[in-house]
Amino acid sequence: MSTAKVAAVAQGIGSDEVAVLADFSQAFATTLDVNQTVRQAVEQIAAHMNAEAAALFLIDGSKGELVCRACFGPVDVTGLRVPKGRGIVGRAIKQNKVQLVQNVETDADHAGDVGGFVTRSILCAPLTSGEGAIGALQVLNKRGGELFNDHDRDILRLLAVPTTLALSNARLAEDLMEQERIRREFQLARQMQKDLLPKREKDCPVVGINLPAREISGDFYDHFTLPDGRVAFCVGDVSGKGMDAALLMVRASSLLRWAGKEGTPPDLWLKRVNDEICTTVTGGRFVCVLAGYYDPISGVLEWSNGGLPPLLLRKPDGSFQQIIADGPPLGILPGIDYPSNRAFLGDGSAYIFSDGATDVRAGESETIGIEGFQELIDAVVELSPRARLRGLVSQLRRMQLADDTTLMLVEENGEEAQYLGGISICCDAECLRLVRKTVDRQLTALTVPTEVRQRVVLAIDEATANVIRHAYQGDPGGRMSLDIWRRGDAVEFVLRDWAKAVDAEAIKPRDLNQCRPGGLGVNLIDMVMDEWGFEKPEQGQGNVLRMVKRLQFNSAAKVASVAA
Amino acid sequence: MAQENGCTTTEESGFQVVMVQGEVDLSWSQKLRKAILDALGKSQPVAVDLSKVSYIDSSGIAALVEGFQSARGKGQHFSLVAVSQPVIAVLELARLDRVFPIFPSLEQAAQS
Repeated sequence: MSTAKVAAVAQGIGSDEVAVLADFSQAFATTLDVNQTVRQAVEQIAAHMNAEAAALFLIDGSKGELVCRACFGPVDVTGLRVPKGRGIVGRAIKQNKVQLVQNVETDADHAGDVGGFVTRSILCAPLTSGEGAIGALQVLNKRGGELFNDHDRDILRLLAVPTTLALSNARLAEDLMEQERIRREFQLARQMQKDLLPKREKDCPVVGINLPAREISGDFYDHFTLPDGRVAFCVGDVSGKGMDAALLMVRASSLLRWAGKEGTPPDLWLKRVNDEICTTVTGGRFVCVLAGYYDPISGVLEWSNGGLPPLLLRKPDGSFQQIIADGPPLGILPGIDYPSNRAFLGDGSAYIFSDGATDVRAGESETIGIEGFQELIDAVVELSPRARLRGLVSQLRRMQLADDTTLMLVEENGEEAQYLGGISICCDAECLRLVRKTVDRQLTALTVPTEVRQRVVLAIDEATANVIRHAYQGDPGGRMSLDIWRRGDAVEFVLRDWAKAVDAEAIKPRDLNQCRPGGLGVNLIDMVMDEWGFEKPEQGQGNVLRMVKRLQFNSAAKVASVAA
Repeated sequence: MAQENGCTTTEESGFQVVMVQGEVDLSWSQKLRKAILDALGKSQPVAVDLSKVSYIDSSGIAALVEGFQSARGKGQHFSLVAVSQPVIAVLELARLDRVFPIFPSLEQAAQS
């Protein structure tokens, strides 16, 4: 009703009506329970209009059926359904006009009575919001045998206005609440998915990150340490997005953890999970999975790939190697075999990722692909593993991320070193024996093969002898210390002295083709060690010689070193 | 079983045989050097028996190299015999395994 019309109607009404209208509006404006307010309103309307009964109908669902939502009178017709366009109430909505029927017997549209109530006259006003008709408000049988008149019609029209408003607001509120409920459900689902991701572990060589394109993700990753010291890992990508993909993701990740606990070879691991998923997955859903183990002692990665992008190996020299050897995604064909791969990781890094990482677009161009992803890696390569993954994610976010994205990085943590032992000696060649013994004992504990052990012992002996002979020049008051660290697959020897600083530039291996008695020590160190060099001491004078030997540990070594 | 470090020189089948044992390092490699040079002073073929050497470092190798070069200058026989595995490993590492005349035994050195 327009403001002008309301004003026109209002001219004809008395102070009683104004009071009722004010009460109505007030009640609707302050209510928290619209259903209850509507019930009270219907009762008040019936009382005020001196009617035997009153009812509120609302259009329900797409069929346009009317449902009685509240009523007052001798017969409860709440829930009564009237087909679209039927009855006087239907006509009021169809014509969007108040219907005043003083004798229903003469009106062909009257739908009939319910529960023994005899309808004589009907006054029915449509409820119309900005989006069209939402229902109708009707009063039946004016008490005392009187008939509804034009004044009553205006009053009902007037009362229909706040009722409509209240109902519209209530619907809006309901929609909002429903949206809020769904949002909360998604939040819970997302939280549950997050809970399924592995907890952050200190010093773990495997780190992962998951970036959902929507609230919930079809991607997942997991890693856990086996009793033999190997770290099991997997990255998965469920086809599709949304709740169904999320539920399959939950199932797939649980199955993978369950089947990987025993350290089953990766090919059998995937085969087992594939067979299990195939028994339950329907509707063309499938899961791409890459799963495997990393052995921190041997530095070897072994894995199988079921449909995920190839594992990307970044070698210490900065070159990349894509290892493509895979089987089909899981959940498509039971009983199939998966190929397995092995690679020596050493000081390199392995990147495992879902296709979300390569299917991003930089501007309008094609997707960046694996080569583009390699460039992103190069841009963050200086960062620590976890910071690197975060850096990759923020680079991907800047592009048009279309899919869930999961990244995993397997890398020996270069910052964490394990102290194995050490020795302090005085500047006396007699002490060399002790140095050799100390080194030999540590390397034996790491089950380093005899030949390698002998060479390393020799190199350390040479370095120590050089300090005695050259740095201290035999000064019996000199002292030095040797500390031995394990850093991933490397053993680090730090030889510290407090002699006059040596000219590090002058200490170089000589040409071995010249057969002469002296100066062989540096050659031996250079040949045996993978890296060596002088560093400035943190405090005081002297020299720090750091020597690094990378070793191919066998998997029993960790146990042995703990036992030692 | 750890052996006492040291060397003794004996005459055997016309050879000056320097028998070395233990771990040869900076602490006594000068003694070995002197023993070898003394043996070379006898104008007989010299064989250094390294069968009982469990360790040798570059200072010990240097003593051997010096003896070898001194003998070569004088046209004197100088060989290493019964070289233990740890010594061979170091000679290989220093690429000296093909420089020294090496024989499995004194007899074979004598036949050469």
